[in-house]
Amino acid sequence: MDTLMTARKKRLKKGAQGWLRALPFILPGLILVAVFVVYPMLFTIRISLSEYKIVQGEITFLGLDNFKNVLAGGSRFWYAYRNNFLYAIVTVPFIILGGMFFAYLINNLKRGQGIFRVGFYLPVITSWVIVSLVFQYMFNNSSRGLINYFLVDVLHVMDDYIPWLLREWSGNAAIWLMGIWKNMGWAMIIYLAGLQGISKELYEAAELDGAGLWKKFVYITVPALRPTTYYVMVNMIIGSFNVFIQVMMLTGGDPNGKTSALQYLLYDRAFNQFEFGEASAIGLISAVTIVAITFLLNRRLKLDDVEKEG
Amino acid sequence: MRRSKKLSETIGQILLWAFLIAALLIFSVPFIFMITNSFEEFSYVLPYPPKLLPHRLDFSAYAHILSMDIFPTAVKNSVINTCLTVAASVLISTLSAYGFARIDFPGREAIFKLYLFTLMMPSFLNIIPQFLVLRGIELPWLKNGLIGTRLGLILVYTATNVCGHTFFLRNFFRSLPDSLSESVMLDGGGHGTIFFKVMLPLSTPAVGTMTIFAFQGFWEEYFTAKVLVGANEDMITLPLLLQRLNGQYATRWEWVFAASILALIPVIVLFIVFQKKMVVGGLTQGSVKG
Repeated sequence: MDTLMTARKKRLKKGAQGWLRALPFILPGLILVAVFVVYPMLFTIRISLSEYKIVQGEITFLGLDNFKNVLAGGSRFWYAYRNNFLYAIVTVPFIILGGMFFAYLINNLKRGQGIFRVGFYLPVITSWVIVSLVFQYMFNNSSRGLINYFLVDVLHVMDDYIPWLLREWSGNAAIWLMGIWKNMGWAMIIYLAGLQGISKELYEAAELDGAGLWKKFVYITVPALRPTTYYVMVNMIIGSFNVFIQVMMLTGGDPNGKTSALQYLLYDRAFNQFEFGEASAIGLISAVTIVAITFLLNRRLKLDDVEKEG
Repeated sequence: MRRSKKLSETIGQILLWAFLIAALLIFSVPFIFMITNSFEEFSYVLPYPPKLLPHRLDFSAYAHILSMDIFPTAVKNSVINTCLTVAASVLISTLSAYGFARIDFPGREAIFKLYLFTLMMPSFLNIIPQFLVLRGIELPWLKNGLIGTRLGLILVYTATNVCGHTFFLRNFFRSLPDSLSESVMLDGGGHGTIFFKVMLPLSTPAVGTMTIFAFQGFWEEYFTAKVLVGANEDMITLPLLLQRLNGQYATRWEWVFAASILALIPVIVLFIVFQKKMVVGGLTQGSVKG
């Protein structure tokens, strides 16, 4: 009994000492995260279950009404939800393949790697606002837009100018294209780092067997890069659910929300219609979706994450 | 035999170069288009045909942007906000990453998992409560609490990046051998000594990489700034200014593009200078295993 008590006391004391030692390091971060991240997350849950009047500061409990309204309130939500998935399905493969392909080619260059590293990375460091502005003009409805001009007046593959950003599928395609273009360089940089970890001997052995650039890519590079590919994929899929600025600036969700996305819908509900309850419900639905997808990917792809490593 | 192999290798390199240059040119069309059109002069209608390649060098759009009263304000705000946020967030995250990587305390894993969990949340799920928290911090000389203030924006920016940065740097600190800190302990040094004398000097590449990513992220941040300080004219940042230029002068694309290019220059310079030193490997290291 006595020894048990002292053992427990000792453990408590050790724990307290650990905290005392750790606090100077973790306290500032802990306070900021608690006040501006964790508390807001809990508050979002509360708002999603309430009617919230921001000006009066009144908050009335409603139960699941906001969720019901969002899910049943017309097709807008489902279009947005669908578009997030479509965005992931369409852009992620292109980003992965493109990023891997160009990283591999650049890595095989003897000279001048830097130019291409910077060149392909430029879209990544360019802000979404700027990129959206350029795409807005390129996809302009009239003959004045670069894409229309090129397709109709130069290549003559189309008879008439298309109002790209005003139609459902061409609008979505513009959003996808921008996503691919903007993120491919990121994947490339990550892959370039991953390529450094593949041993030269593998390639040399393959060369002795007469394998060319392509065969080496398919049989050595792609399999060896699997962990990197998982990393890029998880990041890009999570990113697909954060699509916002391009929707706001390219299509505004038109026509009738058919090019919308969850984050844009959330923004629109909260800051144009002041429906904070529904906006929070949308945010939570997309949060749950992201967590579920990440969980499934981890399971399916047998990802070990840090917790297991540590 | 050997010569022919070398020759074919050279030809291969040249072909590779040619292919990559061609790909990069196509890839760069949006940038070329932007630069070209910043030299144009737009009137009420957009020019036909649209111009992809520059055919004149006219910097009057740049001159116009530089002479706008609001431009220096936006630059000043973007520079101050970005620098202060980067400094605060790197300092706080480095400290907490060390705490989570190297000091044992009860609940450490649980808290760290919570940090990880928040990373999965949509980026602006929390903006409404964050707005309310800032408004609730009442100070006698402020009407709306910290809404519309630099301090408020920087607090939220820093806080929302602590989790991600802590996660990234913790992996790095863990990859360093224990023997280093043990020798300090033997000499009677505490965690403070280990952190400042051993860990920090060793982690400059990782911290540097993170600093550059953070700089780039805060420099272009639009949404949080729009919600938290958008109503205060004195607090306008470059991304907010760009969006406004686009709204106000929808047909003066040369102004919009000139301002965009001016806003881009610092990030590009930063990236070109540091790209060789960046340890992107650290990002994936230990975080995901196949």
